[in-house]
Amino acid sequence: MFWRAKAAVAITFLVPIVLIYLFGHVFGLYRKDSGPVGIPIAVVNLSQEPAALKLIEALKAEKAFRVITTRDLGNGATRPLTEADVRAGLHDNWYRYALILPADLLPDDAFGVRMKFLFNPRNEIEAQTVNGLLQKTVFSNVPQLLGQSLQKRARRFLGDERFERFNRTIANTLADNFGGDREKIYQQAISGDLGFSELNRTEAGKTPAPPPGLRRLDAAPAPNGPDAQSQSSKLEGQKSAAAPPQDQKSSTDIFSQMVKIETEQVAGKEVKNPMAARLVGGYAIMFLLMAVSASATTLFEEKNSGVFQRLLSSPVRPAHILWARFLFGVILGLVQITALFCAGRVFFGLDIFRHAGALFAVALSAAAACSAFGMLVAAISPSAAAANGISTFVVISMSAVGGAWFPVSFMPDYIQTVSKFTLVYWSVEGFTDVLWAGRSLLEVLPTIGILAGIAAGVMAVAVWCFNRGKLFD
Amino acid sequence: MLAFCNVTKRFGNITALDDVSLEIAPGEFFGLLGPNGAGKTTLMSLAAGLRTPEAGTVALDGRPVASGASAARRALGLVPQTIALFPELTADENLRIFGELQGLRGPELRTRIDEAFTAAQLTDRRHSLVKTFSGGMQRRLNLVAALLHRPKLLLCDEPTVGVDPQSRNAIFEYLQRLNRGGVTIIYSTHYMEEAARLCSRIGIIDHGKILALGTLDELLVQLPFEDEITFPVDPATAPLVARLAAEGEITAVDGMHRFRPRTGYPLSAFFALTESLNLPPRLFVSQRPTLEALFLHLTGRTLRDA
Repeated sequence: MFWRAKAAVAITFLVPIVLIYLFGHVFGLYRKDSGPVGIPIAVVNLSQEPAALKLIEALKAEKAFRVITTRDLGNGATRPLTEADVRAGLHDNWYRYALILPADLLPDDAFGVRMKFLFNPRNEIEAQTVNGLLQKTVFSNVPQLLGQSLQKRARRFLGDERFERFNRTIANTLADNFGGDREKIYQQAISGDLGFSELNRTEAGKTPAPPPGLRRLDAAPAPNGPDAQSQSSKLEGQKSAAAPPQDQKSSTDIFSQMVKIETEQVAGKEVKNPMAARLVGGYAIMFLLMAVSASATTLFEEKNSGVFQRLLSSPVRPAHILWARFLFGVILGLVQITALFCAGRVFFGLDIFRHAGALFAVALSAAAACSAFGMLVAAISPSAAAANGISTFVVISMSAVGGAWFPVSFMPDYIQTVSKFTLVYWSVEGFTDVLWAGRSLLEVLPTIGILAGIAAGVMAVAVWCFNRGKLFD
Repeated sequence: MLAFCNVTKRFGNITALDDVSLEIAPGEFFGLLGPNGAGKTTLMSLAAGLRTPEAGTVALDGRPVASGASAARRALGLVPQTIALFPELTADENLRIFGELQGLRGPELRTRIDEAFTAAQLTDRRHSLVKTFSGGMQRRLNLVAALLHRPKLLLCDEPTVGVDPQSRNAIFEYLQRLNRGGVTIIYSTHYMEEAARLCSRIGIIDHGKILALGTLDELLVQLPFEDEITFPVDPATAPLVARLAAEGEITAVDGMHRFRPRTGYPLSAFFALTESLNLPPRLFVSQRPTLEALFLHLTGRTLRDA
C-alpha cells in the first residue's frame, strides 16, 4: 500500500534526494573552491601612495570580494568614491563593508600605516568571514606599506640629496656583491619595495597568511563573533582604534603601533539584541510559509467533505472561496508574525516598536506573498498529500536559497541570482532592513513593492491554475 | 419547475449523463433510483449549478441554473452525499455560517436556526462540536443546513447513507413534512425501498440514461407479471418448479425460487397445484413486484450487483 501512495513515496525518497542535491549547490559543494563569492566591498582611496593601489589590486584579486571604487554618475561617467558616498551606501545596504585609505595612509609624522574600516554587520557569519579575509589581504601588503613608510621617513629625515645618495649607495653595493641592475634596485629601494613583493609572489602567486600574532584582525574585530564577543560589544556603536587581545599583546604591540586601522560600525549600533534582530526575519518567514501552506491544503479537505458543493450551490462562487482563503492566509500570517515578534520582544528584547509601521507593512506584504504561495501549491497539486509534499520541498529549498538559514553571499553566483526570485529573500531583506538597519516605511517601500508584486503575480497564476484544475469539480 | 433538456455530461471518455430529458413539477417528491455510478450525483450537481453540461440545458423556473444567477441558487438547497459540515465547529456555528452565506442575518437567522435544530431534534446538542455527533445526528444536521433559507427545491443526494434506522425514519418523516409544506424534492438513492416509500414519481437511471420514469404503479406495470411468489429451493419443491416452468418465469436467487406468473395466470391455479403436491402454504410468500424486479427486468442486473 505504501508504494502505491505516490506522495508518500515522493516525500520519503525523492524530496530528500532532490533537497540534498539542491543543498549541495546552495552550500557550494560542487565548487572546487568553497567560500563566499563577490561580496561587495567599497574602497575609498585618498592616498597617493603606490602601495595603496597595490592593496586595492590585492583586494580585487580576492574572489570573495567585488571591489567597488567608483560611483556611477550616469551616461557611463564615474568618479572615485568618497567617504560620504560609502557611508550612504552602507546605510542603504548597497554594500556592507568599506575600506578607506586616507590621504595620510603613510603619515609624515610617524612610521606606520593608517586606514579606516567601516562595516555594517547585518549578517554575522558574513561579517566574520569578511573580516578574516580582509585582514589576510591587508596584512599581506603591510610589509610593502611599511617599506614605503620607512623610505618616506628617511627622505624627510635625510633630505632629498642625502636620501638619494643613501639609496644609490645601497643599490650599488647590492649590485656589486649580488648582481642585478643598479637602476632597477635603486627604483625598488626608493619605492619602499624592499623585496616584500617577491615574498608575496611565492607559491605560484598565493598570498601568504598574516603573521601568527596578527591572525586576529587587530584593526577590525569580528562583530558579535563568539571569540570576539567581548571586543565587539565594546566596539559596536562606537568608533574605535584597534587593540589586540591581552594574551597576544606582547607580540602585537609593535605591530599595532605600526598598523592603525580605525573601525566603525555604521549600522545596527542601537540594536539591543543584534543576533535576534538578524535571525528573526528568516525564521519568521520560514514558519509563516509552513503554516500558510498547511492552511491552503485544507481546501482539499473542504472539497472532499462536500463543503464546496454546499457553498457553491449557494450564491458563493469559486472566486469567493479562493480570495477568502487567501485573506485568511494573510491574516493568519500577520497574527503568526506578530506572535513571533512579540516572543522575540519578551525573550530577547527585540525592538519591534521603533518602526512599528514599517514592520507591519513588511509583515503584511510577506504574509500576502506567503499566502499566495500556499494558494499556488494547492492549485497545482492533485491532492492534499501531494500539496504537503510539494510545500515541504519548496519551503525548505526556498528557505535555503533565499537566505533564511545561511548568508546568500556564501552561495555560488547562480544560486545568488535564483535567490532574488524567492519571496524568502525579499522578506528576510525587509525584516532585516527594519529590525537591523532601522529603516523607515518610506525606505522599505521598494522591498514591500517587490513582495506585493510577488503576491499579486503568484496569486494570479494560482487563480489561473484553479480555474483549469479540478478542485471545484 | 426544474427541467433537463437533452442534457449530456462527460468526464473525459466517460459519459456520465447521455441526452437526459426530465421535468420536475412543483411540489413533487421525485426519486432518482440507480446503482452507484449511474449518474445520479452528476444529475444532482447539474441541477445545483455546480457543473455545466456539454450539451443541453438545465433550467429552474425557466432560468438556466448554470448561469450562476443568485436568484436561481437561492431557490434551491443541496444536501450533499457527504457530511458537508465543519467538524471542528459546533452545530450552531455551522448553521450560522451556512445561513449567513445564504444572506440571512440577525433575528431571522436566529429563528431559522432554532427551527432547524427543532426539526433535526438536535436542540440539546446545538453547542456541541459536530465531530462528537453520531453518524445519524450529523446526517440530520447536514439536511437542515440546506434548508435554512427555505428553498423551493431541495436536492437530496443519498442523504441516508450509513444512517441507523431510527435516524433514517426521522429524516424520511421530516422530508415528507417538507414536501407536504410545498417544497419540491429530488431524492437520489440506490435503495429501492426509500424510493418506493417516499417518492411520488421515480426515475430509474443507469449508465447515464433514464431507463424508466413514472409513479410506482406506472413503473411496475411495465413488468410482464403482476405478482411474485417466492419459496425455498428444496427437494420437496422441485416437482413444483418443473410444473411451473410453463406458467411463467422462475429463477433461483439466494436459496429462494422466485416465480413470476405470466399475465392472466390465476393464483388459484398456483395454490391448487401446491395442494396437489402436498406442499404446506407456509412455504409460499406472494407479493407485489418491486422496483428491484423492474431494474432487473430493464438492465438484466440487480441494483446490488450493478
